[in-house]
Amino acid sequence: MPKKILLIDDDPDLLNAVRIILERRGYEVVAAFGGIEGLEKTKTEKPDLIVLDVMMPDKDGYTVCKELKANPELGKIPVLLMTAVVSNIPTTRFTQQMGLETEADDYIDKPVEPAELVKRIEILLSK
Amino acid sequence: MQNQANILVIDDELIMREGCTRVLVKEGWSVITAEDGQKGLEQISNRTQPFDVILLDLMMPGMSGMEVMENIRSLDPDLLVIVITGYATVESAVEAMKKGAYDFISKPFAPDQLRIVVRRALERRTLQKEAVFLRQEREKSLRDVATEQSRIRTIIHCMGDGVLVCDREGTVVLVNPATGRMLHLPEASLVGTPLSQAPIPPELLRAVEESSKTTETGYTSISQELSLGPSGEISLRAHTAPVINDAGEIMGAVTVLQDISHLKELDKMKTEFIGMVAHELRAPLAAVEQQLSVILNRMAGEVTEKQEQLLSRAKERTKGLLDLIRDLLDLSKMEAGKMVQYKEPLSLEEVIQGVVDLMRPEAEAKKIDLQFYLPTHLPPVIADRNSMEGVFTNLISNGIRYTPEGGKVWITLNEEGGCVKAAVSDTGLGIKKEDFSRIFDRFYRVKTAETRQIVGTGLGLSIVKSIVDAHWGSITVQSEVGKGTTFSVLLPKEATPAICQKEKP
Repeated sequence: MPKKILLIDDDPDLLNAVRIILERRGYEVVAAFGGIEGLEKTKTEKPDLIVLDVMMPDKDGYTVCKELKANPELGKIPVLLMTAVVSNIPTTRFTQQMGLETEADDYIDKPVEPAELVKRIEILLSK
Repeated sequence: MQNQANILVIDDELIMREGCTRVLVKEGWSVITAEDGQKGLEQISNRTQPFDVILLDLMMPGMSGMEVMENIRSLDPDLLVIVITGYATVESAVEAMKKGAYDFISKPFAPDQLRIVVRRALERRTLQKEAVFLRQEREKSLRDVATEQSRIRTIIHCMGDGVLVCDREGTVVLVNPATGRMLHLPEASLVGTPLSQAPIPPELLRAVEESSKTTETGYTSISQELSLGPSGEISLRAHTAPVINDAGEIMGAVTVLQDISHLKELDKMKTEFIGMVAHELRAPLAAVEQQLSVILNRMAGEVTEKQEQLLSRAKERTKGLLDLIRDLLDLSKMEAGKMVQYKEPLSLEEVIQGVVDLMRPEAEAKKIDLQFYLPTHLPPVIADRNSMEGVFTNLISNGIRYTPEGGKVWITLNEEGGCVKAAVSDTGLGIKKEDFSRIFDRFYRVKTAETRQIVGTGLGLSIVKSIVDAHWGSITVQSEVGKGTTFSVLLPKEATPAICQKEKP
């Protein structure tokens, strides 16, 4: 049975491209086009992993992540944050902040390299 | 001063009045006569322009000359009176002099005698007028000084910026209402009290104390930002400098306070706006690049060699645009003073090691030998971690990009005086001497056949230089075309914060 990944991103083109990457690796992909829809689908779809965009108009990724992690059941689902905001320079600063401010399990810069994304997901799923 | 002297002759004898008038008018003076004391006094008190000299006969019927004399003195003590004494009565002349007469002339007198006496009196009158003039001038300039002082007081009082002056002992000697407003203190309660006892931010007190101290290196002036209010919503910029007297001694310190709260607010809005724009620009580009990478990874079907070539180039270009947006964002943060905010004692080797680890995959992909030669012991520098990572990511990534396959990029660290020197060297394309001065300029890129394919924003080195400058450091370049390039960064050590620059920016 393939692992189910919930993909939350308000940009349909980006979401579609990432969906192709994940589906090619044999994952089952469920899409949500915003933070609120993402939270809903987490409850109904019970995914094995969530790929979460940070900048979304209705509810941003940090908030979504915080709400998920506050839930004892849903909080167990690994979250991979995906963002185009943070540049490659302050990577370590970002890592530090992430550790303090959010409980995301990992993060990756947008646009993602397909191989890198798949690697990170495999690591998170194997934990 | 009147050109023509005015003379009053008071004498009961017509012959005397006419004789005097004749003599004096010949001299070009204007003469008025009165036949008794009463009429003389009337003439004096009716005049707007006072007489310069009064000739007064002492022996007159009715009001005596002595009595007239006393009345004149009480009307105007400055009036010059020459008494005319009858037939050498020296005693009455002496008495008149005691009562304030200026001079006397005894009857009978020759016209020359009269001329001499009157002329002398007129000279005296001129001096007297000059003295009055000078006294008035002096009073006027004193008044000007007083006006000036009150004007300055008014200016300081009305200023929007706060002014706070302390003497050498730290006692407040002058404070304006703006200061009271900004520090939320009644200004009147501050004057005369030691600043150390006033409820002011401790940083401000420290600055005033520092500035009032004499040091071998001269005086210290301190600029700082203060946050006030329950949640630091009020931002003040405080500039404290010593007040120095003519002898070069420090008399105290003056602090000028500026409320920059709404500047800060605007700045925050600007940053938020730039952040929003950056996201709006990055998001579609990220989507384009993401789709290209899906195609290039053959996840959407087969790709011909020609297509791959074109799409790879397209992806390079979108990546270049993304980098440009990132750099612009960094630059705008830099200009807002946001990049170099958290200066702390920092181990450069740790920072560089982190960057080297991060860059290693990129170097390995190009078969470039990336080496970091660690020194045995190195003191920490005072720097912002975030921006230092930026500096070395930029320099090392440049080294890798501009070095052909199989080349070498290496980093060395060592102490140099009060500074730590980090050098990033490569065996790359090198930079021509004539380009040295321009490589730190914004958007400047050296364009040659070799560099044409290398995607860059032309902002990287200008960001690096801004960061280094903000740390009181310096960056230099050495290069030989075809051999390689070395960028050397000097940064102040923690222990002895020096300025690692030839000149202050």
